[in-house]
Amino acid sequence: MVISKKISESMKDSSWIRAMFDEGEKLKKQFGSEHIFDFTLGNPITEPPKELKNELIKIVTSDLKGMHRYMSNSGYEEVREDIAEFHRVTTGIPFTRDHIVMTVGSAGGINVVLKSLLDPNDEVIVPCPYFVEFRFYIENHRGIMKLVDTKDDFHLDIEKIKQAINKNTKAIIINSPHNPTGVVYREDELKELAAVLTERRKKGQRIFVISDEAYRKIIYDNIKYPVMFNIYDDTISITSHSKDLALPGERIGYIAISPLIKNAKNLIDATIFSNRILGFINAPAIMQRLVGRFQKNSVDILDYQKKRDAIYNILSNTGYDVIKPEGAFYIFPKSPEYDDVKFVRNLQKNHILAVPGTGFGKNGYFRLAYCVEMDIIERSEPYFKKALESIHA
Amino acid sequence: MIVSHKIKKQMEETGWIRRMFEEGINMKRQYGEENVFDFSLGNPDVEPPEQLKQSLIDTLNMPVTGMHRYMPNCGYDDVREEIAAYLKEYYGMPFSAKHTYMTAGSAGGLNILLKSILNKDDEVIVPTPYFMEFKYYIESHGGVVRLVNTKDDFQLDIQKIEEAITPKTRAILINSPNNPTGVIYSESILRELAELLYTHRSKGKKIYLISDDAYKKLVYENIQPPNIFSVYDLVISVTSHSKDLALPGERIGYIAISPEIKDVDMLISGLMFSSRALGFVNAPALFQRVVGKFQKNSVDILEYQKKRDILFNTLVEAGFQCTKPMGAFYIFPKSPIDDELEFVKLLQEKERILVVPGRGFGKEGFFRIAYCVPFKKVLGALDGFRRIGKEYIK
Repeated sequence: MVISKKISESMKDSSWIRAMFDEGEKLKKQFGSEHIFDFTLGNPITEPPKELKNELIKIVTSDLKGMHRYMSNSGYEEVREDIAEFHRVTTGIPFTRDHIVMTVGSAGGINVVLKSLLDPNDEVIVPCPYFVEFRFYIENHRGIMKLVDTKDDFHLDIEKIKQAINKNTKAIIINSPHNPTGVVYREDELKELAAVLTERRKKGQRIFVISDEAYRKIIYDNIKYPVMFNIYDDTISITSHSKDLALPGERIGYIAISPLIKNAKNLIDATIFSNRILGFINAPAIMQRLVGRFQKNSVDILDYQKKRDAIYNILSNTGYDVIKPEGAFYIFPKSPEYDDVKFVRNLQKNHILAVPGTGFGKNGYFRLAYCVEMDIIERSEPYFKKALESIHA
Repeated sequence: MIVSHKIKKQMEETGWIRRMFEEGINMKRQYGEENVFDFSLGNPDVEPPEQLKQSLIDTLNMPVTGMHRYMPNCGYDDVREEIAAYLKEYYGMPFSAKHTYMTAGSAGGLNILLKSILNKDDEVIVPTPYFMEFKYYIESHGGVVRLVNTKDDFQLDIQKIEEAITPKTRAILINSPNNPTGVIYSESILRELAELLYTHRSKGKKIYLISDDAYKKLVYENIQPPNIFSVYDLVISVTSHSKDLALPGERIGYIAISPEIKDVDMLISGLMFSSRALGFVNAPALFQRVVGKFQKNSVDILEYQKKRDILFNTLVEAGFQCTKPMGAFYIFPKSPIDDELEFVKLLQEKERILVVPGRGFGKEGFFRIAYCVPFKKVLGALDGFRRIGKEYIK
């Protein structure tokens, strides 16, 4: 076989996702894509902010020499300085450019951090439901993923996390705003988490919080975002500009390492080294230059909020059991049938494409990504209704 | 400990590179940038071709909706078509889009490829001297690197390769034109290698030939590098546009899979999985769009040739033993004293010339000069090489 056994097995595990995707494509061909309501992909239809597009043209038309060459593996100093300033202002912690490493999106960033931290069989706690790729990221670097269920409202179950910690626990990955639930963790629960971890710290074990902040700027109703850096010292954040600046295809993001981490320098050096030997080398040059200047910008949040309101209202009006998302662009309703894969097929018959909760480690739910045209959301109501009715019939 | 044991060990192994690098920076601070001759980095000072720069501007001035979004992990269909058309013409083999895969440079390409094909403890043979990152790439994905010395002229030693093959051998990773030697493997030697691998095939053992072709277009005197795809069937080529189009910072390249490899669809699926799992997801969108049209272009090779000629001639006249580079922008002379680390320090201290010791490429007793620097830097260093040659070469 041309591919490795492990890859082949991992691919088999996710082959049903592929099958569903293919079925969706078939439906689109059969009925025309405007008659199919595709809520499967977190690939926003949004365009990057206008000013960003203009700035990009300005950069490439400038006569700056060497703008496509290698730079230091951690990224351009001035860009890291811009980002460090953003973190200084938002946290009051003395971030410098040395605490920032530019990465190939957050997927690249998380891999780099895990490779730097993990010894074989080190454990990483991941609250569930979760973004399934985390499992592959952890296993790439010989770690073991420990899934811990969240509560019914998808908030952290601190007691369960406490029970899951053992002497091999090296890190916990949290993702807030959360994919697939849209939940934003509250300050009080994060403080409880910090207290649990600090307890271990006193016994000589360091557990890092890896905070995946890809959706940080997509947050609704003016909720205040609790910044993990201000809650727990041993925090590493991973940011992507895929969502806030709508640049997913360009692969740009960064790692921020808390200056409050003891021996942070060793960790920083290791991430720069890992960035190199995993083959990323550096984050794409031209996108680095661009994003430094747009740390405070974001795509139009109100637009997403309107979509969130629309999809939430449709689902709750038609009788789905659903929690209102506070951020990101996902909603995670309870499946009216326990078998979520079966229900998603039912939705498919009704021209709606969704991802079963099983794909996020949580049976009995399904995920809708509402980063689509408003029109699609609005027209989908009768179809959601029909799918629900077909079960009760 | 804050970082993993393996990373710590790997970083310590390369600690001296960092120390040298830092000494170099100090030196530049102390004597001024213009008085230090830095030949340590393969970071070309050239700019991308003018037409490419214009095409980049045009692409941005005529934006297509969704041009910064995700696309399939393997890259844009139309770009893969363009690359396949070029490969078909260049190699004379029936390449189609499905034999190509867009990557974040060749470092990214090699990593997703190795992750896709290596089972735990599978061995990969690498001829030395070699680009040392290969070792880390292989080890990252559970593989074991088997280093095999080349001959005195840095051509493959088929006998030694044969001895290194075991039931665990999964692939051979070659790089031609070679970093650090500038050597191009000859067609006859590659045929011998292929013959050896076919012998193992007849015993039921499939060994892949991974060809790092990052320097493929940087060849001198119109040498036509051997057509690797016609020499052997299980060839996977990994290419970068860092050197030929001078875009190293943008991380763009591709994998080309031989049309003779039957289970190409499975391999592409494996690569798609690995690029997601490793966090590459896809090659940067903007530069995918740009490079498709520039498959036949390259930076000006004559500029490099001028630098190679004057440097090679000077070194030889000064008494250095060295093999004339046929491609790439490296030259790998023998160190006049056995401990090349010592010699490299002398070059640094006495002549302010920065080069990399051979042990950084798995070959002690040599040193690497990367001459992808401005011509005046090459000229400025010539006397230094002459002086140190006079002093240390008997």
